[in-house]
Amino acid sequence: MNKKAQLVCLWSAALMGLLVTIGWWPVAGFVPPPPPSWSAAETAAFFAANTNGIRTGLLLMLAGVGFFIPFIALISMQMRRMEHTPPVLAYTQLLGGSMSVMIILVPIMLWTTAAFRPERVDVEITQMLNDAAWLIVAMTFAPGIMQNLSIGLAVLWDKGAKRVFPRWVAYVNFWMALGFLPAGLMTYFKTGPFAWNGILAFWLPLVAFAIWFNVMFIALQKAIKEQQEA
Amino acid sequence: MSGLELTADTPVAGRRAERHMPGEEGVWVFILGDMTVFALFFAVFAWYRGVDPALFTASQQTLNAGYGLFNTCLLLTSSWFVVLAMNAARRHLNNQAALLLVLAFLCGLGFSLVKFLEYGEKIAAGLVPTTNNFYMFYYILTGLHFVHVVIGMVVVLFMAHRARRGIRGGGDMSFLEGGASYWHMVDLLWIVLFPLIYLMK
Repeated sequence: MNKKAQLVCLWSAALMGLLVTIGWWPVAGFVPPPPPSWSAAETAAFFAANTNGIRTGLLLMLAGVGFFIPFIALISMQMRRMEHTPPVLAYTQLLGGSMSVMIILVPIMLWTTAAFRPERVDVEITQMLNDAAWLIVAMTFAPGIMQNLSIGLAVLWDKGAKRVFPRWVAYVNFWMALGFLPAGLMTYFKTGPFAWNGILAFWLPLVAFAIWFNVMFIALQKAIKEQQEA
Repeated sequence: MSGLELTADTPVAGRRAERHMPGEEGVWVFILGDMTVFALFFAVFAWYRGVDPALFTASQQTLNAGYGLFNTCLLLTSSWFVVLAMNAARRHLNNQAALLLVLAFLCGLGFSLVKFLEYGEKIAAGLVPTTNNFYMFYYILTGLHFVHVVIGMVVVLFMAHRARRGIRGGGDMSFLEGGASYWHMVDLLWIVLFPLIYLMK
């Protein structure tokens, strides 16, 4: 029963990935991001042009992001199995992961608000909602870094004869923690590589996250299988 | 923090193998991943430089290559201390290994002081990251590298602590090798970064 429940948690993350990607990318049209250099009028026109696509895409993301929660719980559950690893790391991961969900949920609702009355004359309100949403979703690196560091430390601490995760998973997490850092720079730039649509502040962390997500997925899949066999 | 034991799968006896990879494989996952990210940063820098070579050349001339060169020497020296420390640790000269690692740490500290001095001078002259694209890259590339130096200094201190206690098993040696590899990477990144930002014409 435990194995089945864990596999449900694991695959729920795949559902998250699918719904969020479809909603964000083709349906809402948020990838590549609408540039921060756009004027308020251009930003408002973006929301007015594809209003229902944006609303639907965000709804899909909203539905999808919930499925990330069981996956985060699953990581902590497996972390609790690690021998000699202080349990507090599993809780830090749980909180970091929950906060990561929050910083996706809040922007979804801010964009939804922007798309709620696309006919509004005051285009600067739309621009501000869009600014806030992008900055929250793309710049807020703190919870993600705490999540990565807690997983990485826990893996290095694991002294069991049969390790829950291979040790290199720890280093992927440390690498991911550093990969988040350039996102912090987007507060200074409206154009260029460090703007929220830039290669180093947006695409690099996004690709790093995709790699991290796949590594964790495979490591968890293996850990569940080995737990069952033990 | 003594609970943070870094063990490796390879026992000491296996270390005489002909092709020995220093540290554990995970360290190399990190090093290669990190160098890929830096390579991307360097490529983006080169691309932006190509867009406006006149601005980049003019801005570059305001940099003090002397600081950069001095810091290159500091990092190379500290890498050398780390190599000597590793040799000492292998021969169980614990105190000598620890002392050499502390010297490597002090080189890192010197690097940091020079960096603060250099940043301070630039900021006092009104040259900040938002001045132009060159300074944006100058601060961000050297700043990101500096984050790595600070992490490395903490690692080197841990290594000194471990070395002073003595090498007790494959795990200890693997930790020292992994840390040394990371410190060499920080050095190597600077050796690419220094000519790219300070010298490239």
